[in-house]
Formats: sequence, structure tokens, C-alpha cells
Amino acid sequence: MANTLRLYLTCIRNTLEAAMCLQNFPCQEVERHNKPEVELKTSPELLLNPVLICRNEAEKCLIETSINSLRISLKVKQADELENILTKKFLRFLSMRAEAFQVLRRKPVQGYDISFLITNYHCEDMQKQKLIDFIVQFMEARIFDIVETKMSLNNRWRLRLRVEDIKQEILFFVYK
Amino acid sequence: MAVTAVHQFAQCITCHAWSPDQSMVAFCPNNNEVHIYKLVEDKWEKVYVLQKHDQVISGIDWSRRSNRIVTASHDRNSYVWNLEGSEWVPTLVILRLNRAALCVQWSPKENKFAVGSGAKTVCICYYEQENNWWVSKLIRKRHDSSVTSVSWHPDNILLATTSTDGKCRVFSTFIKGVDAKDSKKGTSSDSKFGEMIVQLDLSSSWTFGVKWSPSGNTLAYVGHNSMIYFVDDVGPSPLAQNVVLRDLPLRDVLFVSERKVIGVGFDCNPMVFAADERGIWSFVRSLGEQKALSSGSRYGSQFSEAFGKFYGQSKHGVSNDAVEASRTRGIAHENCINCIMPLGDRGTLIRRFSTSGLDGRIVVWDLENEQDLLE
Repeated sequence: MANTLRLYLTCIRNTLEAAMCLQNFPCQEVERHNKPEVELKTSPELLLNPVLICRNEAEKCLIETSINSLRISLKVKQADELENILTKKFLRFLSMRAEAFQVLRRKPVQGYDISFLITNYHCEDMQKQKLIDFIVQFMEARIFDIVETKMSLNNRWRLRLRVEDIKQEILFFVYK
Repeated sequence: MAVTAVHQFAQCITCHAWSPDQSMVAFCPNNNEVHIYKLVEDKWEKVYVLQKHDQVISGIDWSRRSNRIVTASHDRNSYVWNLEGSEWVPTLVILRLNRAALCVQWSPKENKFAVGSGAKTVCICYYEQENNWWVSKLIRKRHDSSVTSVSWHPDNILLATTSTDGKCRVFSTFIKGVDAKDSKKGTSSDSKFGEMIVQLDLSSSWTFGVKWSPSGNTLAYVGHNSMIYFVDDVGPSPLAQNVVLRDLPLRDVLFVSERKVIGVGFDCNPMVFAADERGIWSFVRSLGEQKALSSGSRYGSQFSEAFGKFYGQSKHGVSNDAVEASRTRGIAHENCINCIMPLGDRGTLIRRFSTSGLDGRIVVWDLENEQDLLE
């Protein structure tokens, strides 16, 4: 399991490395504006082909590139209802604090759970390798976070049930 | 070593240019100013700041003979700066553009300059004596997207452009009253202003960094699909070659001789390309080998420095073994190189050149000690 995750993340890392070749590029449509072309999509010639990396049906990563910006959208695995709720709540929590992360998009692209938007300004301020490291580590850590929360939640639930069981037993003995 | 000097001038540099005697360097620190530094007693000191633009400056060119600076900016304007006494006096150029200006270059005779723009046009500007200002003539309706780079042919008439529509074009820029009709060289002077000589559709992606060879026989430009293109016999039947790179795409090129080209770009290391006797171009090597450093602890501390705030909430901290150690990229640059300028006298073999990039450094390179690259 860990191995396939490693391959998935390595693939994303290599794709990002090739895709993160961004430059300052002023808007062709609107005077004196400079906007991420991947969001505007007004000039098709400024967009590159999007890359979709799938680990399986439930886990995928879409990388869309344009001349001055790059958008990475993730879909995280949600095996059951509990994971679904956890992912939703957790990623919503992060998205609401998007400005603290700089590269996080406030709203995910449709069909995905979380999106990052990297522009040429981020590439000017930060080192490219570090930026890629951040994205990949973020993915890995968040997946881990969700799994861990689920496990601790289940444990607590189990504990609670156990307590209930013991209560039942005590009651049973008392009233026998 | 090929690197002779590394100067960290700013956070980020968009473009730079050298004064004719190379004692001063002008660059834009990724804002609306041009800073001019001068070498005073082995130290670079800031001597002038040119403030007139109100958006980031995308192109600077310093003319060799007339000692004038032309700047182009995203605010749609261009200024010609003249040194009068100890002041740089700007003259506004009426570009008649409604989008950002992206690149600028003086013509070899320095009576004209070309500005490429995001309005899908190229402006050819020349000085009008009677009105005492620079006027521009536009080449319209040829480009399907922004013009990313312009380059003048040594004959002062032909102009090559690259654009984000993936094409490279060559235009005639003959302007009556500015250019004299040359009866000996009939081919280029015959054509009218704005006439397209050739359109090269070689790249499948955006094209950048077009340059003519010193004699004007060969044209080189790069594509964002990690290719570099060499075109001989520019005219009705051009001969094109392409070289595929293993590394990330290039941004700009420089001919150091007729058969040798230096390319710079996202890979952070200048790359050398050369043509053999038969005229076949190939990749020679990168200038300066990459030193792969895999020091986990050092990298970890840097990482937490840069992204400490992101990890404030995280309880896992940084797991170094989770990712491959990042390697340092170039030997002199740490981010994309976007500008390369020759140093030394024009026309002779170029031994020295300078590069600037998004990491805010200007690096001077010397090919003197690179034996295999000099023959």
C-alpha cells in the first residue's frame, strides 16, 4: 500500500516539476490586468494540455497548466460515509484558511476535494523545489491525517461501546 | 570555472542591460523602477533609479553607440532615456498600444527600436526630428497571440519575432526616410514596411528568445516544448533543424559565435549548442555540472524556514524521509534564468556574457577556461 502511494506521489512530483515553468504574463484581453490564465481560460493558446494522474477511481490528481499559472486539484479517497464526512469537514476547514497557505484555492474545482493555484508570483518568491515539496508533503500528510482521525474516532466509539457493555453487565448483575 | 562573478542585486530581476563600456548595469528588480549600478572600486553602487513607469518593466535595452536606454513596461508605455549631465531624462514614446509591452530591442544602427506587445502587434519606433519625439509604426494582424521576443537582423531592416501562438516570423521594417535604399542588397530592402518574409511553424507550443547569428545567416529560437530551433537561409525556402532537450524548456538564447549558441531557461544552467562542419546542430553540455546535494537535515531546516507558517498547525512536523531530497538546481542560479546578454565588443567572438534570473542574481560567465568550447 505504502509503495503504491509512493509511486503516485513521485508521479505527481515529476509532473509538477515539468509543469511549473511559469512566467510573468500580462492579460491579452483586458488592459493593464495580470490574471492567472488557467482560471480565465480566455485565450486557448495560452493553456497546455491538462494532466490527470489516477491512483484508482477514488484518488486522482488533475494538473492544469497555463503560461503564468498552474492549478492542482486533488480527490482524496473516501471509502465510507465516515471518511466522506471527515474529508469534507477537514478540507473545508483548510480552505477557509486559504490565505494562510498562499497557494491554496478557496474553492476546489468541481469534482475534486481540494485545489491549489500556483502563479508566477509564487515561483518568484519561493523556490520551486520547496513549493513542490510542500504540495507533495501536504497531500501525504492530509491523507494520513484523515486516516488517523478515522482510526481514533473508531477507537473511541469502540471504547464507548465497551463501556456500555460493561454498564449492561453491571446492571445485569445488580438486578439478578 | 566558467562563472566569474555573481551579484545578488535584488529579490528578483526581470531583465538587465549593460552600458556600452560595461561599467554600469541597468536592471529591473521586478517592479516599476530601473536601477543602475556602477562599479566603484570593486563594489557595485546604486547610482541611478529611473522612475517613470507604473507597472513592472519587461524589457530594457542600452544602445551601444548613442548611450540611450529604452525601457518597455506592462503599463503599455515605453521611454527613451538620455543621459544629460548627471540626470537620465525620459522621453515618452507614443506606442499606440492598448496592451502590455513585453520586449524591446534597439536596431543595430540605433535609429529604430522594436517593441513586442501583448496586443498581438509589434511597434517599430523611430525618431522624428521635426516633431522631436519618437513615433511608432505598427505591424498588425500577423500575430495570433502575444509577441514574446524580437530580434534585429544585422542589416537593420529584417526583424524576427516569436509569439505565444508558437510561430516565429520575419518581417521587413523598411521605413522611408529612416532607412536608405540599398541597391546592392536587393532582397531585403525591396519589401515594404510590415511585409512578412517568412513564417516558421515548427513549434507545437509557445516560442521565446529569438536571436540572429552575428552574420545574420542563422536564426535560433526556443519552444516551450523543450526544443531549440535553428533556421538557415531565412527566406522563401528556409532550412530548419530542431534539437530536443532532456531538461526543462529554455527562455532565451545567445549566439557567441556563428556556430555556437548558449541557451538559458528553467533549468537554471546555461546550455551550450554547437554546429559541426556539416552544419548539424547538437547539444554539447551544460555550463557547470549540477552538484546533487542530498543533505536531509539541512534541507529540513530550510524547508521549515520557508514553510514554517504552513506547518504551524500540523502535528506531524516535517517527515524528511517521506520525500526525495530536493537537489540544488544550478551552480550559480537557483531559479529560472530569463535574460542573457553578451559582454565585450559586438561583432567579435563573444567570450563573456551575463545572465539574470528570478533569483535576483546577475552572473557573469567566461568561456575562456572552457577549452572544449573555444575551438
